[in-house]
Amino acid sequence: MNQEAQDTAISRRHKVFSALRIWAIARNTFTQLVRMKVFYFMLIFSALIIGANLLFLSFTFEQELKILKDVSFGAMSLFASIFAIVGTALLIPKDIEDRTLYTILTKPVPRIEYLLGKLMGILLLLAVSILLMSLLFFTVLYIRQHGILTEKIASFPRQVSDAQIALFREDIFSRGLQPELLLGVLAVFLKAAVAAAVALFVSTFASSTLFTIIVSLVVYFIGHAQSLALDYYFAEGEMPSAAQRFFAGLIGVVFPNFQLFNVTDGLTAGEVVSASLMARLVGLTAFYLTIYSLVSWLIFAKKEL
Amino acid sequence: MANASPPAVLIEGLTKIFRLPFRKEEVVAVDDLSLEVGAGEVYGLIGPNGSGKSTTMKVLLGLIAPSAGKASIFGLDSADTASRGSVGFLPENPYFYKYLTGSETLAFYGKLCGLSGKQIRRRSEELLELVDLTSARDRRLGGYSKGMLQRIGLAQALVGDPRLVVLDEPTAGVDPAGSRKIRDLVLELKRRGITVILSSHLLEQVQEVCDEVGIIFNGRLVREGKLDDLIAIEDQSEIVLQNASPQLLERIGALVDEEDGAQMLRCGNPRTTLERLFLKAISEGSSQEGEDH
Ligand SMILES: Nc1ncnc2c1ncn2[C@@H]1O[C@H](COP(=O)(O)OP(=O)(O)OP(=O)(O)O)[C@@H](O)[C@H]1O
Ligand SMILES: [Mg+2]
Repeated sequence: MNQEAQDTAISRRHKVFSALRIWAIARNTFTQLVRMKVFYFMLIFSALIIGANLLFLSFTFEQELKILKDVSFGAMSLFASIFAIVGTALLIPKDIEDRTLYTILTKPVPRIEYLLGKLMGILLLLAVSILLMSLLFFTVLYIRQHGILTEKIASFPRQVSDAQIALFREDIFSRGLQPELLLGVLAVFLKAAVAAAVALFVSTFASSTLFTIIVSLVVYFIGHAQSLALDYYFAEGEMPSAAQRFFAGLIGVVFPNFQLFNVTDGLTAGEVVSASLMARLVGLTAFYLTIYSLVSWLIFAKKEL
Repeated sequence: MANASPPAVLIEGLTKIFRLPFRKEEVVAVDDLSLEVGAGEVYGLIGPNGSGKSTTMKVLLGLIAPSAGKASIFGLDSADTASRGSVGFLPENPYFYKYLTGSETLAFYGKLCGLSGKQIRRRSEELLELVDLTSARDRRLGGYSKGMLQRIGLAQALVGDPRLVVLDEPTAGVDPAGSRKIRDLVLELKRRGITVILSSHLLEQVQEVCDEVGIIFNGRLVREGKLDDLIAIEDQSEIVLQNASPQLLERIGALVDEEDGAQMLRCGNPRTTLERLFLKAISEGSSQEGEDH
């Protein structure tokens, strides 16, 4: 066999699991979503946070910066979650409907790889869009905090000393662009990742995009409300029975506690987010992604296409 | 390998029953079907709509599980992902990611087959040429016509250099010139020793390319065998003459009459098939266009 022929001859050995195949599917998924022009949402996002900036000029600077952060994080979290659910819901039901799935699964691609590739593609999209949003958010925040400082100095009745300026700066900047905000960004991503995993799971048995979106949104809202409900349920102070604890645990697995991920409220109010809380969120996300992928696989592996 | 060489396709006692959700009703799509396709053969599965052709192919490719019986490809069970390592499949009415261009599509499927970047480039170059889509390679599939989709589908099926190619109605919705190209392609695959299974309800096409055919009706294989054996009319012969004078025909008639038991059934001008006529008209039209320029 000459060199040419060796290059052309395609290895027949089947790899049981191939990260390259998953990556191919993930990249394809990412391209699909990008070419669906999802990134136009950035325009809406910019309008929102710039609007928030202009609307509240009559507040004190502390309030102004807090509102800017609240609105930005709120919008980021909302967009990321919508993306996660709607984006994911568009993937598998559409592949089934268009029968594109036939051409993929009749290549030597195990069904789990297809699922993981799709999940990874949507996570990639979430990461990129959240990064873009935070970049915009941080830029606006940076400009604003400098603007406020300039205004403050200008409006000061007397000549300001350097020490005075340093004090102002310290005061303003501590409520502005701080590294802790990155923890908030991470939390937004983790929450969206869990929402995507939920939607992926739903889409393995749902037959339409619309149904997937609706069911996922229901799970999403129950996931937000469950901590309230459980608090209320166990509020009497008595020890819950084993059955009750099991039930609560079950609900906790089926409906992820999305409320836990909302660390940004405390963050914008200046509270400290502990490293252990963040580590717990990362662990929780990994747990949900694994569980949901596994259950999705159990359903999808047997699915008649 | 245990046996000398397992057949390309082996289907044994395959039955597929679809249970309709929320109803008691059942649909028997395939009923105790067995067939075997040897390596290098071109097998035609023909039958009317709803007879179970696509269902049989889907079971063979592991897209659905059989209710009974089993299917295997080169000795590997269809339920095993590894069996798809040497298969290319073109589904009926294929539809691909419409936001990808032609060459991106082939690159994507190539990666799924485990090809390296270099192999992908060479392979897609070759295949785009083969299916005549080189000029449309950088256009998105959303803008492809039905025939172009069918062709990119074929290229996609071939990208992994398969030993078995399964084509579900490869010429549906394709014009006669296009379907002739697909026919030539199948013959080319056969020449290279690649096994092909194709389904169709266009009998003439199947007749042109297949070594063996199976006729499937209501999920059952009602006829199977070598095409030549199935369609030859043993006790008839055909003579086609050009520029024969009426006198010559008369003499032939007289000769036939002399022989005991022999009989002239027909004598007249043979008719071309509509397909041939259409193709001829097109090729004349295109050569005229060539002269105009
Ligand atoms: N998913 C399904 N659920 C229920 N019935 C099905 C399903 N898929 C196929 N069938 C039924 O099985 C039978 C065989 O269908 P199949 O698609 O295999 O036919 P076919 O020979 O490919 O027909 P065509 O020439 O129209 O493509 C049909 O009666 C069809 O209604
Ligand atoms: Mg069919």
